[in-house]
Amino acid sequence: MIGRVLAAVRGRVEAADVMWQRGDRTSVAFDAGRLKTCGSAEEAGINLRVLCNGRVGIAGTTTTDLDDLVRRAVASAELGEPVALAFPGRAPLPTIETSAGAVAEAPLERLIALGRSLVERVTRAGCQVNVSIERSVAETSVGNTAGAEGRYASTGLAIGVDVMRVAGNDVLMVYDYYVGAGWPTDAELDRLVRSVATRLDAALRIVEPPEGALPVVFTPAGLSPILLPLEQGLSGKAVLQGVSPLAGRLGERVFDERLSVTDDPLAPGRTSSRPFDDEGVASQVTPLVERGVVRQFVYDLETAARAGARSTGNGSRGIFSKPKIAYSNFVVGSPAVPGDAELGGGLLGGIADGLVIDDLIGVGQGNVISGAFSHPVALAYRVQGGEITGRVKDAAVAGNVYDLLKRVGGFGKDGRWLGARWTPSLLLEGVSVARR
Amino acid sequence: MKDRLLAALHSSRADYTEIRIEHTWSSAVTFRGARLESATVAEDQGGFVRALNRGCGWGIASFTSLEALPAMVTRADELSRAVRLDAPIRLAEVAPSQADLILDLDGDVRGVALGEKRRLLEGYNAEMLGTPGVVDTIASYHDEVTEYWYANSEGTLLHERRPEIVLSGTAIARRNGSIEKGLESVGLRRGWGSAQHHAQGFREAGRRAAALLDAPMVKGGTYPVVLDPELAGVFVHEAFGHLSEADFVYENAEAREMMTLGRRFGRPVLNVGDNSAAPGLRGTLGFDDEGTPTQDTPLIREGILVGRLHSRETAAAMGERPTGNARALSFRHPPIVRMTNTYIGNGRGTFADLIGDVKLGVYACSAFGGQTLLENFSFTAAYGHMIRDGQVAELVKDVVLAGNLFQTLDRIERVAGDFQWNQMGGGCGKGGQSPLPVTEGAPHVRIEAALIGGDVPA
Repeated sequence: MIGRVLAAVRGRVEAADVMWQRGDRTSVAFDAGRLKTCGSAEEAGINLRVLCNGRVGIAGTTTTDLDDLVRRAVASAELGEPVALAFPGRAPLPTIETSAGAVAEAPLERLIALGRSLVERVTRAGCQVNVSIERSVAETSVGNTAGAEGRYASTGLAIGVDVMRVAGNDVLMVYDYYVGAGWPTDAELDRLVRSVATRLDAALRIVEPPEGALPVVFTPAGLSPILLPLEQGLSGKAVLQGVSPLAGRLGERVFDERLSVTDDPLAPGRTSSRPFDDEGVASQVTPLVERGVVRQFVYDLETAARAGARSTGNGSRGIFSKPKIAYSNFVVGSPAVPGDAELGGGLLGGIADGLVIDDLIGVGQGNVISGAFSHPVALAYRVQGGEITGRVKDAAVAGNVYDLLKRVGGFGKDGRWLGARWTPSLLLEGVSVARR
Repeated sequence: MKDRLLAALHSSRADYTEIRIEHTWSSAVTFRGARLESATVAEDQGGFVRALNRGCGWGIASFTSLEALPAMVTRADELSRAVRLDAPIRLAEVAPSQADLILDLDGDVRGVALGEKRRLLEGYNAEMLGTPGVVDTIASYHDEVTEYWYANSEGTLLHERRPEIVLSGTAIARRNGSIEKGLESVGLRRGWGSAQHHAQGFREAGRRAAALLDAPMVKGGTYPVVLDPELAGVFVHEAFGHLSEADFVYENAEAREMMTLGRRFGRPVLNVGDNSAAPGLRGTLGFDDEGTPTQDTPLIREGILVGRLHSRETAAAMGERPTGNARALSFRHPPIVRMTNTYIGNGRGTFADLIGDVKLGVYACSAFGGQTLLENFSFTAAYGHMIRDGQVAELVKDVVLAGNLFQTLDRIERVAGDFQWNQMGGGCGKGGQSPLPVTEGAPHVRIEAALIGGDVPA
């Protein structure tokens, strides 16, 4: 398909690159403990970028009309801005396993059996259990007129488990998930089941929230409000636009010297790992923050061209839109064997009074890039005398990520993957906790 | 197309089969700062089949290759048969409809050159960029026209032409370490005509971002809070609307208990509903994605819970009537229970009446976003003002409202008579389907006491 598209643009544009993607997804959904829906989804599409008179144009389609696709891309380029975009040539690509036969070949019955066993293991009285499983099999090709061409097959298995318990006006929701390119091991399934059970058990008792500037442990699931400003601020786009608080601070120690962050497209077994990005740039591991020092921002081809930088292989594109910057796997610390599912990652011992945050409400709203956050808790626990004493409701936490990450109180032993992010729990000191 | 649909339905072995086909032309223009990011025209097409057999579950199949339709009908039937259910899925009765519904295109966007669209947006973007203090902007224009076909094995056969247009702007102001933003957003189920004459709104977004640089953080605490119609709309959608979606309660006895019709949710001034039949709004449709006609559904009347939003399945399970709220984001997704145009009904009096007797309070305006986690919600106002001695006073920033749904609804003590629909872009997310076009509407409302986050005393 790549060859056909490139042949169709030959002579009509100066340069072009194409991504073609085809995916099949199979899903099973257990609602309130019962298998209720089986689904299948097939999708194929093409995203074409062209350079005409030094201007960039984009077009996408899920139809098979290549002529119309090229015409739209050229029309888009007529309006486009000039940019000195250079497509990568043929280059050696890293070898990485992105596809697992056990996932690709699993029959529907195996997905159903997996879901059923999880429902049985998680079920308990008074709780509603939903389990969803989705298996995806995809094929991605990228090529350009400069000679780069690559193709890989990938698989993914996503399992979501959520438990809801309504008691009077109290609604408790606990969930966790597994995402991987391969079939989960027994240990991984055990950890998923135990993670949900541990969170649920500790949540049954409701206690009063504390108040003040307190030590707070953010679990891997609860860390989103802390990591989101970093993800936005380390983007070359935000730096180019002058809105990143990290702009101009390469080489500067901004964070606790034990904090390191890496973009890792080569991590084994991850659905976001791949040999090259959606613009055909060979994958590389990019250290972003090393021992608290800002080392590198991430770039796609166009942002790199405008910023006078090199693409870090972080170009991501959909069928219909222009490539943009996206992380592959965002890694805090270094991935190892996932730690224990114990809540708090072993960081609770020294806490006289504080919180464990597992989920907040409204993450991503507001002025994220500034580092300021203020959120009510969705799922949080009180820690007293080094132990969890129960779940707190009606509390809110606030702070600024750039202040809090100057000194990290501790890194948990519970590092784990959550989708495309690896992180342990972090203990942060002096987080504002308010109750209402 | 209709013949293809009927032939495919005819070939199905399933007890119940429905098919949707969509063909969408869209164009999009985006500016980042003074630079055009992209201007594109896209074409997307695909279909969705859902099958149900007695004693079995749902089988669904989505696809982008329309030639595959007959094979997908077979696949959906097989997937349905793979699910064995003791308690059968039932669908509430809906009289079959046949209709051709061509919504008002208000200037068909497909007839407007991409360069015209670029020029329009460039003008709006310039309004933001021209404001002193604004260092960056994101401006976007999106339009689409969808040809939509729906048919089911009970005799419903629909063809609709649905337009949509969304303009949005983010102005980013920066001084030293502080970064603030101002938003403008317009979204309608209309066409090119509706995209004109919005310069002032974009100018306002720029001014607000710059003004917020000098605004103090609101002091956290509990205040009387007046919500502007935009934020009141987001509030009712987030804090109440999601609980009124019947798929949240229909399989859960405790949740059903919590949402028993007749339960008091607020004071007699409070009226809430969901109206997909209101003309020209983003949530407006003639039929939902199960072929059920849309309607105005009262949810709270004079403070009492009187209704909820249903699909055919949830309505049958609860012995209630379908309300036309089964919606799918696109052919890639199954229909699930969703809101459309959700509103707080009009009250009496003016904004001045509402704040006249407030000694110290917060006037929370517009929304950066909102989220609800069942009975807890949080939403972030784009900006706010203090209310002092019955007057609107200084601009404040970082106004985050958080609270418990039941408490907060019960504390709505006054509702003004200045209802308006928010014609914003954006949309609602649920079950992996986002952003679904929805609209909210409300007058100004006053909450007796609500927790405002912000400068939390530590």
